[in-house]
Amino acid sequence: MNTDVEELLREGMERFTADLRAPAGLTRLAERRRRRRLAFGSLAGVAAGLAAGAVALAVVVVPDAGHAGIDTTAYVVNRVGSALSAAEPGDIAQMTITTSGAPQPYGTTGTTTAEEWSYGDQWRAVVYSSPGHVVYDEGGSSKSVYTLVNYATRTWARQPRLGSPAPLAAVKTGSGGCEPLGLAAFPVLFRIGLPAIASYASSLPATVASALRAAVSCGALTVAGHQRVDGTDAIKLTSRPASPISETIWVSPGTYLPVRAVVGSPFAGQSGPTQTVDISWLPPTAQNLAKLTVPVPAGFRRVPLVGALLPLQKLPAAQLPRPGKGFGVPPEKFATVYLDPPTPTLRPKQP
Amino acid sequence: MAADRSAAELEQFLSERADHLLRTAVLLAGSREAGEDLLQTAIERLLRRWRRLDGDPEGYLRRTLCNLATDGYRRTGRWRQKERLLRAGLRQEQDPAGAVDLRDALVRLLLRLPPRQRAVLVLRYWEQLTDAEAAEALGCSEGTVKSAGSRGMARLRELAGEWNDTAAICGRNGKGS
Repeated sequence: MNTDVEELLREGMERFTADLRAPAGLTRLAERRRRRRLAFGSLAGVAAGLAAGAVALAVVVVPDAGHAGIDTTAYVVNRVGSALSAAEPGDIAQMTITTSGAPQPYGTTGTTTAEEWSYGDQWRAVVYSSPGHVVYDEGGSSKSVYTLVNYATRTWARQPRLGSPAPLAAVKTGSGGCEPLGLAAFPVLFRIGLPAIASYASSLPATVASALRAAVSCGALTVAGHQRVDGTDAIKLTSRPASPISETIWVSPGTYLPVRAVVGSPFAGQSGPTQTVDISWLPPTAQNLAKLTVPVPAGFRRVPLVGALLPLQKLPAAQLPRPGKGFGVPPEKFATVYLDPPTPTLRPKQP
Repeated sequence: MAADRSAAELEQFLSERADHLLRTAVLLAGSREAGEDLLQTAIERLLRRWRRLDGDPEGYLRRTLCNLATDGYRRTGRWRQKERLLRAGLRQEQDPAGAVDLRDALVRLLLRLPPRQRAVLVLRYWEQLTDAEAAEALGCSEGTVKSAGSRGMARLRELAGEWNDTAAICGRNGKGS
């Protein structure tokens, strides 16, 4: 019986594999697989060391002929996350933010710009009107002192315990990827509005790295090839079609730090403002750290904070940056902000 | 050029032995697809060492196949997935009304065995290796080969016994056609 079973097993194995023929070019196939595995292995190996969790390796063949390599979204996203984590406390993020198409009262739109700097818990934002004049300059110091300079009224104010920007409730990773946590929590990277006292309206420059990191780590971005940004090669990351985010981030292939971001309306099918953010990462030299300080021009008068803030609310609409509702700011929050219509014909008649 | 000569030698070796190695790989892995995958992975490793490989390349490939089959597949969990599929397939094939003879049933049971037991039986009864040679291929002691082979064969004999009993009830020849 024993011999029978062994013999039957051998015959069974013979029959089970009888029609098998090795494919032609095994060496070539194996060599190709080896090259592919080396390409993926070197990337995945680094990514595995960086990744906190398993990320599906969505493979994107970079279409740019100038870049024959293969990037994986997981790899790039993890490198970006790590680079941001390293840069956030170490480098100063300098941003130039252009907001275009922001809805304004009475059906107009405009383009405004701002410059922002972020370094740890220190931040500063200079907001310009459409003609390019400084509207206000605000910032928070490491001692949590908030400073606001109103260029329209040539006044300035300083208030302790207001220096920290409002916390960013951006995104969290849910079962389906990025999930918004209510209106204020849409993954908005940058908000431009009135100078804020820890309210919605403030830009949140101090949290830019956190916001970017949240955006890249929520799994909603995918590598979309290489493009040139200001003449320099950059990896393009775009939000996936099903994502509530509508944004594109370009990162440096050398440092994996974001160099540009374009954020659109997070509301599907709704037109809204678009923000383009150009980012530089500066070493914390004395000269660069000075950019975090809000200078008070000579001749400006110090007033209580409310005295510097309220006049801004009465500026003509064209002189103020607009936080559109597409950027997560409830419009009613600012219903009283844009007081003066550009044309008197739209003003309600006085009794 | 040395590299070209080495590549030519490898091509020659594979042209002569690839069919047999593929059959071994399929028996170790459980299916043609998995076997081809296993063999190509082993050849990838061979490519890395080809220029400085001492000794029999077939032995190296056989050892690599066995190591991959017993360690890599089990470690990655692929074996468990495959095992479930095979188990489901075996239950279907064990239907006495099915047209499967004992030889097929034995192979199917072989593929259900734990990787090391399966590798031992493949090396012993397909590759016709001795216990010592199988132990070298598997990188384990001869005693381990004997005990794993013994357990594997015991399971196959159980199946053969059940098969014969069933065949007797159904009036079929237990040895198959």
